Amino acid sequence: MAEKKILDGVKVLSLEQVHVLPWGTAFLADFGAEVIRVESVDHFQDRKNGPFPDDKVGEEWWNEGGTFTYWNRNKESLCLEVAHPKGKETFYRLVEKCDIVTDNFRPGTMKRLGFDHETLVQVNPKIISLSCTAYGHTGAWKSAGSRARTVDASSGLSFLTGYEGGPSIRASSNYMDHTGGNNVAYALMLALYHRKKTGQGMRVDLSMQEAGVQSIGPALLEEQVGLSRPRLGCSHLWKAPHNVYPCKGEDRWITLTVSDDTEWDNLKRAIGNDDWVHNPKFNSATTRYENRHELDMLISDWSVQWDNYDLMHHLQSHHVTSGAVLAAPDLVSDPHLEERGYFQIFDNPLQPQVGPRKYAGRPFRIPGIPTPLFQSPNLGQHNIRALKEIAGLTEDEINDLTEEGIINTRPKDDEEKPQGGGRWGG
Amino acid sequence: MPRILEDVKVLELTNSLAGAYCAKLLADQGADTIKIEPPGRGDNSRYEPPFIGGTPDRERSSLFLAFNTNKRSITLDINSPEGKGLFLDLLKESDIVIESFPPGHLDGIGLGYDELQKINKKIILTSVTHFGQTGPYKEFKGDDLTAQAMGGYLFAVTGLADKPPMGTALYQMDITAARNGATATLAALFQQRDSGLGQHVDVSEVEAAISTPGGLIQQYSFVGAVQRRGGGEHNVLDGMHLNTKDGEVTLTTAGTGGRPMETWAEFLGESRLLDPKFSSRQGRSQNWEELHKLVQDKLIEWNNLDLMEATTAKGLVIGLVQNLSQVINSPHLDGRQCFAELNHGEVGTLKYPGPGFLLDGENPMRGTSAAPLLGEHNESIFCDRLKLPKDQLEQLKTAGIV
Repeated sequence: MAEKKILDGVKVLSLEQVHVLPWGTAFLADFGAEVIRVESVDHFQDRKNGPFPDDKVGEEWWNEGGTFTYWNRNKESLCLEVAHPKGKETFYRLVEKCDIVTDNFRPGTMKRLGFDHETLVQVNPKIISLSCTAYGHTGAWKSAGSRARTVDASSGLSFLTGYEGGPSIRASSNYMDHTGGNNVAYALMLALYHRKKTGQGMRVDLSMQEAGVQSIGPALLEEQVGLSRPRLGCSHLWKAPHNVYPCKGEDRWITLTVSDDTEWDNLKRAIGNDDWVHNPKFNSATTRYENRHELDMLISDWSVQWDNYDLMHHLQSHHVTSGAVLAAPDLVSDPHLEERGYFQIFDNPLQPQVGPRKYAGRPFRIPGIPTPLFQSPNLGQHNIRALKEIAGLTEDEINDLTEEGIINTRPKDDEEKPQGGGRWGG
Repeated sequence: MPRILEDVKVLELTNSLAGAYCAKLLADQGADTIKIEPPGRGDNSRYEPPFIGGTPDRERSSLFLAFNTNKRSITLDINSPEGKGLFLDLLKESDIVIESFPPGHLDGIGLGYDELQKINKKIILTSVTHFGQTGPYKEFKGDDLTAQAMGGYLFAVTGLADKPPMGTALYQMDITAARNGATATLAALFQQRDSGLGQHVDVSEVEAAISTPGGLIQQYSFVGAVQRRGGGEHNVLDGMHLNTKDGEVTLTTAGTGGRPMETWAEFLGESRLLDPKFSSRQGRSQNWEELHKLVQDKLIEWNNLDLMEATTAKGLVIGLVQNLSQVINSPHLDGRQCFAELNHGEVGTLKYPGPGFLLDGENPMRGTSAAPLLGEHNESIFCDRLKLPKDQLEQLKTAGIV
């Protein structure tokens, strides 16, 4: 990348796996930091996960997984066995020259490896370390394992989630991975800004659960004064109509919401001259809310005659807040997203078997700060670059590491080839 | 430790939850953030029920209180010539403006990005809107539910397979847009500090929603699979919520070393879980009602916190489906200093969630401020900062400009 980027020169060593931390450090990679994903041939699950292109598990499957390429976009790969004494020594030599060390091991693992903040500071006094865990490094639950779904649960978000009047259901299978990852990116940018001003590093102890807790602030304030928030599905505490409505076709839907009398008048005009819209019981916000189930039924009878895209355009042309419920095939061909250049067709030049594929972009555009995908790293692709240019190892030292199997560019001979599939829920 | 963004000055011109939350994220880290509200009424979310204390009051909306911590509030009619002049005076010494008007609105009142840059070359304008500044839907009306719908979240993520799409609670797409906006704004701030350049940051809430379930697009473009809601319904060990004595829990098969039934049978003391009909995932799904009863009858004997402690000791992974009282009173979160007690002139002291991370072991929200009263800082900003004489401020108030 010839063009100067915002985080040019910032070097990140990331001992990352699964979802949350790779998602967080990817922001820094997009902004131009050298994010070095430190991998191990003993922990290969991320590269075994698909989806593999067209469900074919190729010769070099470990470089071809769809989620891997998305979450590790623009990073470098250093496949270094840091648990081995020589690997550890090499890691320290990198730490001397790097700015940030991140991990998402359970608390205790970094200390066992000799990479806890206190030790890293001995190696590099200006180091920023960020540890991303389910429950943080302190507190009664610090040793507990997790899945993103269990974090949704423990943060209170799942308790609030459910159809109107129904039981709680899981908020998602990985919203907390994304929210936690978004928070990782924000915290790292803050720590870098602090260092830019003061020259000082810091230790960031980030908890996925607390990112969830932060996301439900209003309900937590209400709870403290004895107000409890009901589960509402797609409906609202006081707005009606405010829901999802069926449209023509299988599993096609639209949302529409009305906040005040003006918007209700707009909706009435959009619906046209059906008698029921003039029923006095829908005249005020209060009575619309009281009669919202009946109102939802009447709107459904009307909406189901429409194609959802057509209805969205019709409603929006009457200034009614409304959105078609879109699925992946709708999104990738949506004219608005197309015109905004939201998706990027990335050629995967280093993975010819994968070839050009559509990738979701960043939800922001900054004219002077573009964030295109430009590489997806093959296993160990940057071993030599990182060790030579950053850590300053000699060629002989690097050759020794290769011969002893401490750096690698291929999985172990007995690594089991994945079966494919590798789909995961939202 | 010092507050990281204390040298950053932010003006907030939003009337949206996403914009307000984006500014809150900066304010909570110390940014000097002035929320500019319309005179008289103030921010719309001040009127959003429920209200702390029950009765409607513009200082007591839980939503406003939660989304506006650490800001200062002034009232100013930026459509009037005098109001615009005062805004531009503030702009001169600011680093960032966060706004969420419909695209084109600021241009229409002479405060578009080009105009702002004439006054302050390095200014960063972060626009957080539902659909972004460009594209055929840019003038569409949106909200959190619309973003869930058009961002693919509603169809694919929450909800049950045999039911209509269902959303997630409490403005998560607004918040996700805000988180992206804050990070993008910091990127622009790096550039501003390095080169003196400003930027117009265009954040789209719909796009933030799409980027949230990261597998949505990858699965489609790699294998043509269309992700759809549901999947955990009849999955007793990996998805369902089950009752305990004082709450709910969701189990997982993690930490069982590939022997989920043996491990859970032993833990729960229920040997019938060893029945071969439950040994495969498929078998557990086919016989889920029976499995559910066996597991449920045992779990109901447990208190949440005891269950968490006992499973963790065995290396099992569960999630307590905590209700909000359990979250607020969580010994774990208390031990983490997760909450900050902030005092507000009208509603008193409440516990507010911190940013989700500790910096050098401390919650940076502790010792900071609750949301401002409407116009609370008019005098300090207009008279102390902009050196406006007090009688002139009174005149502006009478004229409805402040």
